[in-house]
Amino acid sequence: MTMAFDAQGEISDEALMVLYASGDRHAALALTRRVTPRVLAYAARLLSGDRAEAEDVAQETMLRLWKVAPVWRQGETKVTTWAYRVATNLCIDRQRARGRRRQTALDEAPEVADATPGAEGRLIAAGRMAALEAALADLPDRQRQAVVLRHLEGMTNPEIAAIMEIGVEAVESLTARGKRALSAILAGRKEALGYEDDGYAG
Amino acid sequence: MRMTDMQDDLDDLLASAARRPAVPSEALMERVLADALALQPQAPALRPVAAPRLGLLARLAAIFGGAPALAGLGTAAVFGLVLGYYSPATLDYLVGSSADAAEFFPGTDLLTTEG
Repeated sequence: MTMAFDAQGEISDEALMVLYASGDRHAALALTRRVTPRVLAYAARLLSGDRAEAEDVAQETMLRLWKVAPVWRQGETKVTTWAYRVATNLCIDRQRARGRRRQTALDEAPEVADATPGAEGRLIAAGRMAALEAALADLPDRQRQAVVLRHLEGMTNPEIAAIMEIGVEAVESLTARGKRALSAILAGRKEALGYEDDGYAG
Repeated sequence: MRMTDMQDDLDDLLASAARRPAVPSEALMERVLADALALQPQAPALRPVAAPRLGLLARLAAIFGGAPALAGLGTAAVFGLVLGYYSPATLDYLVGSSADAAEFFPGTDLLTTEG
């Protein structure tokens, strides 16, 4: 018997899919509100902050969700697993179609022009985020997916394994290698930009 | 820099980035919802069709106090209000509905989301 309610006592995504397919417009709104933000955030991270591309991927992912709803079988896959899997593949397709753009986020960081208190801190924080985005863009696709899913999306290793359709050990290996590569890239960039003693907090 | 320092810095950086997800625009949410409604299988009709109704935008305007209250808002902004102030009764009125989930799960607030 498939549970219609999740741990929080709300209707599960999977039950909403069945309701959506039966014509329930409340389910259409509920699924839109639950799933779209997650897919958008994930796609933006995989695509190194390209907002327009991420929105296209999110809309296309949800479009495919609506189309699969009439044949959705409860108990086989979680809606989020399915959506993340589709979004992952759409992101990869887009990157391959356009060729890999080298991220120049660090070079494009704004100059310090504002002397008000807190401005420097904000710019440093923005620079760190840009540096992370650029470093992620330099990773091989599968390492980037694993690191984003694990450390930015907060997925467990079994969830990541289901999304990436690989074993849990492969996920752990990709995550570890991805993080080592990120550390190396960020250390290299920090030296180039003279960040060794900026003393920023986390 | 020691490897452990770099790892701690990276963990901090990742934790910071994890707290800053991109947020969907209202426009994106509207497009996704429009796709959902356009592709949705129609529920079997359980009630006779009501008397001719006002257009969708006029009905939306009525909920928020009529056209004068919404003067200056574009159509997208009005739909944005609907997404923000949605209630089951409102959506029933707006788009028409027959049997819905609320009848099968009385007392459940279907529109509570994690945000």
